Amino acid sequence: MPGKEYDTFILTDFASVPEEQEMELIVRDLTPADRRYKYRSAYVTALVSKSESKYPDRLWIRLGRGQLQEKPWSIKILKELNKLPKD
Amino acid sequence: MSYTSYKDNREFIKALEAHGELVTIQQEVDWDLEMGAIVRRVCERKLPALYFKRIKDYPGFEALGAPLATYRRLAIAMGMDPHTSIPEISDEYVRRTTGTPIQPILVDRKKAPCKENILLGNDADLFKLPGPMVHDGDGGRYLCTWHFVVAKEPDTGMINWGMYRQMVFDEKTMVGPVLPFSDMGKMFYGKHVPKNKPMPFATVIGCDPLSGVAACAPSPIPEDLFTGMLMGKPVELVKCETCDLEVPAHAEIVIEGEVIPNLWIEEAPFGEYTGYRTSPREPRTVYRVKAITHRNQPILTVSNMGVPTDEGQLLRSFSLGLEMRKLLESQGIPITGVYMLPESTHHMVVVGVRPAYSNIATQIANLVFGSKLSPWFHMVIVVDEETDIYNKDDVIHALATKCHPINGIRKYEHAVGTPLYPFAEPDDRKWSRGAQVLFDCTFPLDWPKADLPIKVSFNKVYPKEIQDKVLKNWKNYGFKD
Repeated sequence: MPGKEYDTFILTDFASVPEEQEMELIVRDLTPADRRYKYRSAYVTALVSKSESKYPDRLWIRLGRGQLQEKPWSIKILKELNKLPKD
Repeated sequence: MSYTSYKDNREFIKALEAHGELVTIQQEVDWDLEMGAIVRRVCERKLPALYFKRIKDYPGFEALGAPLATYRRLAIAMGMDPHTSIPEISDEYVRRTTGTPIQPILVDRKKAPCKENILLGNDADLFKLPGPMVHDGDGGRYLCTWHFVVAKEPDTGMINWGMYRQMVFDEKTMVGPVLPFSDMGKMFYGKHVPKNKPMPFATVIGCDPLSGVAACAPSPIPEDLFTGMLMGKPVELVKCETCDLEVPAHAEIVIEGEVIPNLWIEEAPFGEYTGYRTSPREPRTVYRVKAITHRNQPILTVSNMGVPTDEGQLLRSFSLGLEMRKLLESQGIPITGVYMLPESTHHMVVVGVRPAYSNIATQIANLVFGSKLSPWFHMVIVVDEETDIYNKDDVIHALATKCHPINGIRKYEHAVGTPLYPFAEPDDRKWSRGAQVLFDCTFPLDWPKADLPIKVSFNKVYPKEIQDKVLKNWKNYGFKD
């Protein structure tokens, strides 16, 4: 079964993104089971690699003005974080 | 006096169709970029509005694209002939909005179609609405592109309707910029944030067209009263489900909730009204959703910001220019008219004036740059009465020939700006810093009359009897028009 796909916006120099260590970021779900939820965003802790094959899921990279980078990275999401107030 | 107006978008859709200003698309269209691409192309080619009957993944929902992106559609919205000229639409707008404000009336919720479906708790899920991915590369789905956000000033009770873009983050959360100098920004950052108190809001999508026009207008009159002035009768409002706000009873979709203080989430990028994706992705204001109400078979409105002309550019230019006209007339400046070019993405305004005294152009620029309107534009062109302010060719001719490259230009530094200015330095965008400029296209009054250049045009350099003769014989010469 193919892995899921996410994307994220990287606003800093790529070199400053910590690889293969737990980091926090916002990802958007590009392949939800229910298509109505495509682009749902979430704060997560994850492991990220610039190698496309290191982790099970694909992570597409966009720059601050939305520019999509040609090669995807890979990601393993460890946990979704709830940073928003409860209703 | 009541004018021809439409109580909801459904009546407006019928009027657009009757005037040949609507294309109905029966084929299913994808909310993920396809719908946005169609609307974008329509804006760039100034084509009729779009009525999408089937949206992928969202059976039962419809959408209206580019509802007010031309002056023809604005004229229809105001109950006027679609061929009415811009000066005539402008005069009518000024006439209606300089009278006595008309208070809205509250209707029973049973008479409010926007209450036909009420979603609370987990059912109030933003992904149940067909928010489009408008442009490839946007930071999220912008559910709210042609809408307004209702908020109330906590001390005075004054109502504000404003168009603040809103991006869907998750099921219950939207995020968007609320600039501190905007009306809602003053309410939220000035009154609620210092007390760490959430601010109730209601987002209205698919309102009647004149409520949308009012929400674009930078008038000091609260927009619910301003709408009544445009309609010539009270707008009908209904109470919200979860807060002490009121919304147009005939709206298609209403999202209720709270703006959360001291919490920010990354928002943007977004294809903006300047025609660029400029403002940075950065932490912005957070809206948490408590309820969604909507009509049966709801019709989402979709605008697509980009290169001209979309309804944001057109209506914001229209109303900004006319508020400037009111301001200058209130100060007794002998202007002949004010026109803000939509093609300038409401950055450039042309003011026509009778140059009655020296430096009148500077006085005009000082007044408009010193007003609350000023963060939204940065170029003022002042022309004399022989220039047609509505004629771009005439304005460009005046700018290129009458504005002295040094003496005719005045620069205004340290102005309030917005993060959306493409020309601004990145740090200036971050801190909403701008700059402004005046182009004075009037000849100095102290030049000897004999030295004044004479405009060489058909209307200026031929005797009236010659003009009349030529016009009378025009078709005889072989011309069709």
